[in-house]
Amino acid sequence: MSLVNDTLGKLKAGQFDVLESDYKKSGYHLEVKLNETQVQNFARMMYETEFYLDFVTAVHVAPCFQVVYQFAHFNEACRINAKAMANEAREIPTIADVFQGAEWHERETHDFYGVVFTGHPDLRTLLLSEEDADLKPLLKKEDKLVSVETITRKSEAEAEKKPVKKNIEE
Amino acid sequence: MATMTKFQTNDKHRFLLNMGPQHPATHGVLRVILEMDGEYAMGIDPVLGYGHRMQEKMAESRVWQGFYPNTGRMDYVGAMPFNHGYVALIERMAGIEVPERAEYIRVITSEMNRISSHLLGIGAYVLDLGAFTPILYAFDDREDILDALEDITGSRLTYCYYRVGGVLKDIDDTFIKRTRAFIANFRKRIPMFNDLVTGNIIFIKRTEGVGIITADMARRYGATGPTLRGSGIPYDIRKSEPYSVYSHFDFDIPTGKNGDSLDRYNVRIMEMEQSLRIIEQALDKLPEGPVLAKPKKTKLQEGDCSFSVETARGVLTYYLVGDGSEVPYKLKIRVPSFSNLSLMEEMCTGMLIADLVSAMGSLDLVIPEIDR
Repeated sequence: MSLVNDTLGKLKAGQFDVLESDYKKSGYHLEVKLNETQVQNFARMMYETEFYLDFVTAVHVAPCFQVVYQFAHFNEACRINAKAMANEAREIPTIADVFQGAEWHERETHDFYGVVFTGHPDLRTLLLSEEDADLKPLLKKEDKLVSVETITRKSEAEAEKKPVKKNIEE
Repeated sequence: MATMTKFQTNDKHRFLLNMGPQHPATHGVLRVILEMDGEYAMGIDPVLGYGHRMQEKMAESRVWQGFYPNTGRMDYVGAMPFNHGYVALIERMAGIEVPERAEYIRVITSEMNRISSHLLGIGAYVLDLGAFTPILYAFDDREDILDALEDITGSRLTYCYYRVGGVLKDIDDTFIKRTRAFIANFRKRIPMFNDLVTGNIIFIKRTEGVGIITADMARRYGATGPTLRGSGIPYDIRKSEPYSVYSHFDFDIPTGKNGDSLDRYNVRIMEMEQSLRIIEQALDKLPEGPVLAKPKKTKLQEGDCSFSVETARGVLTYYLVGDGSEVPYKLKIRVPSFSNLSLMEEMCTGMLIADLVSAMGSLDLVIPEIDR
């Protein structure tokens, strides 16, 4: 568990909003909340501490997109899940300059959601054909779209109270 | 590097070469556009999506049970671990306990599937390099596995055998007998395979030093599986984040030294031996008991959850976001071949086209898995 604690300390020292997570329930050890300006620094720090990039994806929520990054380590079990909200123009900085593997993951996310990764070298369609570039198949319809709170894990105290499903229209 | 001729003053004499989507060496519908300078590939642009089915959208538009069959249809060569990741993810989310016998059966069938996948991968790879005979031997052994698995799962390729809370059907004595016979038989066949292929001078010349992946490169691209282990990094989800009952068994993680195509091939051969060891131990220790916990009506809790398993090609991660209903709000499927292929541009630029085919084959790609 030393790597988890080490990384936790380093992330805290780097002014990141980091929490320990119950691996048995969530499947990752550390949860990081980033803002738009921290994404690049976070990626650089992950690279320096020799983490590898598992995936990049997005979740369509109200009001905007939550971009999810997952990293893990070759030496020890330490899985880090980082979430950042894209801005209103659906933009977020790319991490493809640090982790070249992110290039395809970000292209895919751009295909499916229309999230624009600023600074990305090549945002052509990857899995969709060029004619379908504007399709954005994973965008939720308005009646299905929920707020970030609805898809956030409830802490144990909250979970005991009966959870009320909130729709954004309410 | 590229040959210089009197015609060649700048990049004017480069030409585009289209490889695929129906090229035999791309193993499926992968297209690679190459910018060639004579025999050398100076620019590489893989074009994906010919087999794209939008699996993630399908997952979002049905209750979670409805996604079972899809999990077997991404990596059709090694479908069991894809089943495994999905059911284990739901189990983790809902906190469902699985009977121990079911976990043992999962490990046995997953490892058999890993062997059959590696056999196909190796056979097809050697075929790419021009040797026709080995794939026939590989398929002969693979047939034994498919027959045994067909008996208990009902399918030969796109398995849908695991259920949340266990497996669909218990294994019987015939299956155990058959599996033991296969282990005994296959142990004898591996040395034969090594005599036929591994020590072959032509094979070594085609693979040694070709397509080197360094540890740093693997980290930047997220390469996993035998592709990574060929570079000497013993990273395997079965050991590092042990799931199911893998921690009960004694097995090694084979690694290579140089990270070239030959190492990746050798890692696959050695992994088959380790899989045999795991299956043998699991059969010896196989506990009695039920194989399927009583099904409960399960809603997916609010929040996200991730589960990683080691497939034949590397790390598969399912990342699910639930909103409290039975339908997943989002399901991300991180497939190993996607990341493994993404490093091809860096690995193969400046290579002879014959070496490029060798290096690409050594990644053991399954295209429907990349395209999803």
